[in-house]
Amino acid sequence: MPNPRRNPEIIWRIERRRRDEVLRALEAGEDVGDSGTVLLIEKGTMHQLNLVGGMIWERCDGTRDPAQIAAELAVEFAVERGELQADVDEFVKDLTARGWLLDA
Amino acid sequence: MPDITEMFSAPLTFNWTLSYRCNFVCEHCYSRDEECEELPTADLKRIVDVLAEKQVPFINFGGGEPLIRDDLFELAAYATQKGLNVSMNSNGWLLDRAAAERLGAAGFKSVGISIDSIDPLLHDDFRNMPGAWPRAVAALDHLQAVGVRSTMSAVISRINHHAFRDLLDLARAHGVGQVYLHNFKCSGRGFKNRQELDLSPEEWRAFYVEALAVKAQTTDLKISFDDPVIASLPGYEEQGLVKGSSCGKLSLHLRPNGDITPCGFIPLVVGNILKDDFDAIWFDSPVLKAMRAKEATGKCAGCSAFADCLGGCTARAFATTGDFNQPDPHCWK
Ligand code: SF4
Repeated sequence: MPNPRRNPEIIWRIERRRRDEVLRALEAGEDVGDSGTVLLIEKGTMHQLNLVGGMIWERCDGTRDPAQIAAELAVEFAVERGELQADVDEFVKDLTARGWLLDA
Repeated sequence: MPDITEMFSAPLTFNWTLSYRCNFVCEHCYSRDEECEELPTADLKRIVDVLAEKQVPFINFGGGEPLIRDDLFELAAYATQKGLNVSMNSNGWLLDRAAAERLGAAGFKSVGISIDSIDPLLHDDFRNMPGAWPRAVAALDHLQAVGVRSTMSAVISRINHHAFRDLLDLARAHGVGQVYLHNFKCSGRGFKNRQELDLSPEEWRAFYVEALAVKAQTTDLKISFDDPVIASLPGYEEQGLVKGSSCGKLSLHLRPNGDITPCGFIPLVVGNILKDDFDAIWFDSPVLKAMRAKEATGKCAGCSAFADCLGGCTARAFATTGDFNQPDPHCWK
């Protein structure tokens, strides 16, 4: 799969304070659900990405392929590698279909 | 809806008044009587550093007239290089071809020109500046020629509320992609001249019903409103990022000396961006907190639209009553 790259038309930022809260809650074993940690603005509409989605998004800078992204996330999360890879692949496929990610 | 600060660690937009100086004296202007120390370029760049560090994505320069300051281009280029998206609103007088090129080179994402009427004499009279209209229209053409996205702004008032369609046609003819039909604010000269310029609540309702119908049928032009009171109209379904006024929630305003106010029309300083801790202002300011948690008061209590309208424009309520929670004086309910 080619290296995914964020569409430069999309304005985004990491909501750092929120992300820290979500990470703290996760460490405490709480359910963080889909709490948004990355904010995207696309043509005036706002969207949010959850913790994992946000971490994948941050890494979609055109320099990494999905396998590398999954490998980096594997360091952060105690989740089975195959499962992580499937999450990354699905995320990239979905956001590419929306035009939010482009092939590098 | 969760608390705004749970979702947003900083506003999305800073409306930035670099200077209250202007070459015009418009009848509706909020800022003609304002005076304020202006900062040197180095301090303005320090402000950009704070905005970049807080990840504020958009800066919109307003005023006063932004082009009055020679360092506008340098500042905008600096902000662009830091990843911010820069736009501005201008009366167009100083925006010749050379200025348009410099705006493009500085990375401006869009530039808005204020035009109140398609009648040149009416526009010039309203703006107290003979010859303003042709220069404003020429500014749109210069922007188009150099490939900078242009927008057009009109403050809706008694002089143009029946003629907004003509303004849309003017925009089309000059390559404008988006038209802002701003609600009339009762601040500064807008407050003094409000008897002559402001519409009655019923007239506002009629204007919005008509303008929303035109917007629904228009595909070649984006038409934008910034008036929360339209949320009470039947069938109005547009979902903004937040309910009610966006001031203090999605946007803040900077004065020339770095003081922060919730918006340009609310003269309450909540802190200074170079002197105070920004997070403390954003998360803890009692004024911002009060604006984000308005309480239904007077006729708003019991109004079925309150959940969407939140009492309408907070600046207008505050200007006329001194209380954020009072109903917007434009409300027709
Ligand atoms: S009564 Fe208050 S809540 Fe209802 S539409 Fe008017 S301003 Fe909005």
